[in-house]
Amino acid sequence: MTTTSAPTRAASPAPAPATRAHGGVWSVYRAERRKLAAQLSTRLLALTCVVGPFAFAAILQVQSGTPADALFGVWVHSSGFALSLVVLGFAGSWGFPLMAGVLAGDMFSAEDRYGTWKTVLTRSRSREEMFGGKVLAAMTFAVALVGLTALSSLLVGLVLVGDQSLVGLSGALLSPGRAFLLVLVSWLISVLPVLAYTSLAMLFSVASRSGIVGVIGPILVALATQLLDLIGRGVTVHMLLIGSAFDGWHGLFTTHPFYGPLVVSSLVSVIWIVACLSASWMILRRRDFIGTPATHRPGWTIAVRVVAVSIVLIALLAIAGNRGPVGVTAARLRASITPEFNNITLLQQQLFGRTIPPGAQLDVVSSCGRHGATPRGPGDWTCTLDVYIPQPGKVPFTQTPVAYDVSVQSNGCYKAESPPAYVGQQMIRDAQGHSVVNPLFVVYGCFDTL
Amino acid sequence: MPAVPAVRATGLVKRYEQTRAIDGVDLVVQHGEMRGLLGPNGAGKSTLLRLLFGLVRPDAGSIELLGSLPDAPNSLALQGVAGFVEDPSFYPYLSGRANLELLAELDDETGGPSIDDVLERVDLAHRGDDRVSGYSTGMRQRLGIAAALLRSPRLLLLDEPTSGLDPAGARAVGALLPELATQGVAVLLSSHLIGEVEHLCDSFTVLRNGRVVWNGTARQLQGQAPGSAYALATNDDDRALGIADDHPGVSAGRLQNGVVAITVEEGCLDPYVLALGQSGVAVRRLEQLVSPLESMFFALTSDETSIDQLKPYELAEKALART
Repeated sequence: MTTTSAPTRAASPAPAPATRAHGGVWSVYRAERRKLAAQLSTRLLALTCVVGPFAFAAILQVQSGTPADALFGVWVHSSGFALSLVVLGFAGSWGFPLMAGVLAGDMFSAEDRYGTWKTVLTRSRSREEMFGGKVLAAMTFAVALVGLTALSSLLVGLVLVGDQSLVGLSGALLSPGRAFLLVLVSWLISVLPVLAYTSLAMLFSVASRSGIVGVIGPILVALATQLLDLIGRGVTVHMLLIGSAFDGWHGLFTTHPFYGPLVVSSLVSVIWIVACLSASWMILRRRDFIGTPATHRPGWTIAVRVVAVSIVLIALLAIAGNRGPVGVTAARLRASITPEFNNITLLQQQLFGRTIPPGAQLDVVSSCGRHGATPRGPGDWTCTLDVYIPQPGKVPFTQTPVAYDVSVQSNGCYKAESPPAYVGQQMIRDAQGHSVVNPLFVVYGCFDTL
Repeated sequence: MPAVPAVRATGLVKRYEQTRAIDGVDLVVQHGEMRGLLGPNGAGKSTLLRLLFGLVRPDAGSIELLGSLPDAPNSLALQGVAGFVEDPSFYPYLSGRANLELLAELDDETGGPSIDDVLERVDLAHRGDDRVSGYSTGMRQRLGIAAALLRSPRLLLLDEPTSGLDPAGARAVGALLPELATQGVAVLLSSHLIGEVEHLCDSFTVLRNGRVVWNGTARQLQGQAPGSAYALATNDDDRALGIADDHPGVSAGRLQNGVVAITVEEGCLDPYVLALGQSGVAVRRLEQLVSPLESMFFALTSDETSIDQLKPYELAEKALART
C-alpha cells in the first residue's frame, strides 16, 4: 500500500506546548480524589462512618441489654473505650469489607460502565500512572474513612459513657490513658487489613469490569472468612485469611501483651495488598480497550468464573483448615482463663468495697475440656475453676467450684459465661449503691495461638 | 514542512480472535492536512483510531505520532494528540466544566485555551455547570470537541465528530476544523458518510474489511469518480430515457421505485437538460441523489463482486440505499 502526499493548509505545525513539572501519578491522584469526593456513594460512606457509631450508641442508650457476644460488649455502658472497640470489632467483620467494596469495587469498572477509559487514556497519562493514581486515591479514602469511624466512635463513647477505666482481656483494669492509647493503636492496626480489602475490591473491579462484583466481592470474601474461621483446628489457614489482621489488636489488651499474631497477620495483609494490586495491574496492562458491544460484555462471564474459582478455593481452604499447628489447646485456655478469673474476682470484690491487698491471689485450680470432642481447636469448651478459700475453723479450706461455658474462636479469643448461681446476676450493686456490671458474669479473654 | 509526519503507521495488523479487524494498514497524515478516514460500518475505522490512541495494541506494525512511539515512557506519544473514538464519554455525575477540569488535570500541556474559552467555542458555556447526565447526544459531542481543543492539539483524531449534531452544530464543526488545519494541526476525520466530509478533507483513506482500498487526494478521488446521480421527473419519462441514450456521458434507467435516475459525467448535465427542453420534455424535478464521491465510495467499499457490472445509475441506487 502506498501513501499519497496530500496538499496541506499550513507550512509548519503549531509549536509543541510546554510540559508541566508535576508527576503523572499525582495528577491522576488529584483527579480521582475529586471524582470520589463527588460520588454519592462515597459521601454516604463518610456519613455512615460518622453517624454510624452515634446511631449505635443511641440504640444502646435506649436498650437495657448489651452486645455481649462482641468482645468488650458487656462494658459498653461502663467505659467509653469499650464502645469504640465494639464498633471496631463489627467493622472488622463486616463494616470494612463493605466499605472497601463500595469505595473501590467500582473504581475501575465505572470507567467501563461510563465508557470513559478512552477519554482518560487519550490524555497525557499512561496506564501505569492511571493505575497508580487510582490505587492511591482509593487507599487515601479508605484510610480517611477508617479515621473518621475511629474518631467518631471514640468521641461518642467518651461523650455518652465517659473515660472510665476499661477491663482488659486479662481481667485487669486499664487506666483511661492507657485504654485511650490502646484503642487508637487498635484502629491504626486495622488500616492494613482495610487496605487489603480495598486492594481486593479493586482486583474484582478490574477483573470483572462489573461494579456489582466489585462491591459484593469483598463482602462475600468476608463471609467466607467468617465461615472458614469456624472450620478446622489448624492455625495456618486462619492466619492467611485476608481479615486475620483485624484480630491483631487483641493481644495488646492482655496483661502480658503478645504480638506474634499481630506481626504475622500484618505481613499477611501486605501480601494480600501486593498480590491483589499485582494481579490487577497485570490485567489492566494487557487489556485492549475496545468498544464493548452489548452482546460481548465480559463482566458476567468473568464473574461466573470468579465465583466458580472462589467456591473451589473456599473448599480447598476448608479442607486445609486442620493443617499446621493447633492454636487453641486446653493448656493455653487454662493458662489464660485462670489468672483472668483471679483478676476479675478481685475486681468484683473491689466493687463491693472490700480492700484487696496488693498482689493478692486466689488459690484456683482449673481444668478445661470439651464434651465429646478432642480438647483442641475452636468451639464450645467448659472450664471448671475450683477456688480454695481458707475458712476460720475449717480444715484446711472450702472448695468452691465455678463452671464456665467458654466459646473459643480460632483467633484465641473467648467469651466465658457462668450461671448466676455461681457468679451472681449480670448487674450488681457496688459499694456506693450504683448498679454496675458484674465482671464475673461474662468474661472476655484472648491468648496467643502461635 | 517538517520531515516527520503527524501520523505514520506502517503495516498495522489487529486481530480479534479469528477476525482481522485491521489488516496491513499504512497511513500517513502530514501536519496541516485534513485526511478523511472513510469506510462502511465495520470497516475498521474505529479500531484504527484506537490503535493510534494506544487503546488497543497492534499485533504487527508500527505507529509514530508526532515523531514519538506509543511505547515511549509517560505517554509521550499522546502529547499534542487529542480527539475521541466513537461517541465521546464523560462522567455523568460531574458537570461539563468539572469533566473538562478533570481532563485538564490529566494533561501535560499548558498555555492552551481556558475551559471557558473552549466551552464558549462549542456553544456550551451556558450549560457548562450542568451535569453531563442531562446532556443530549449532540451536547456530549460538542463537549468531546471542547475536550480535544483543551489540549491545544497538533494532531486531532476524530471519529464521526458531527454525529448527533444539529445542522448548525455540524456547520460549526465544519468551519472549525479547517481553521485548525490552517494553524498546522493535522486532522484525521473518520466517517462512514463521505457526504459529511468530502468538502472538508484534502485527502482520503478508504477502508474496507480492515484494508486500505483507496488512498489519495480529494482531486484524485474526484477524477476517478463515476459521476453524479440525479432523480429526474418529467412530463414524459420514457422520452427522457430515450434522449439519454443519445447523449454520451449520460446513463439513465428506472430505479426499483419507478423513479427515473440519471448518472452524468462532469459537464454533461446541461446539454442533456437543454435537449429535453428542445424535445418538448418538461423537467419537473431534478434532484441530486448521490454525489460522485458517494458513488465512488460505494464502489470502493462494497463487498459485492458484481459491482463492476452495474450500470452507473444502478450503482447510484445502491449507494443511495446504503446512505
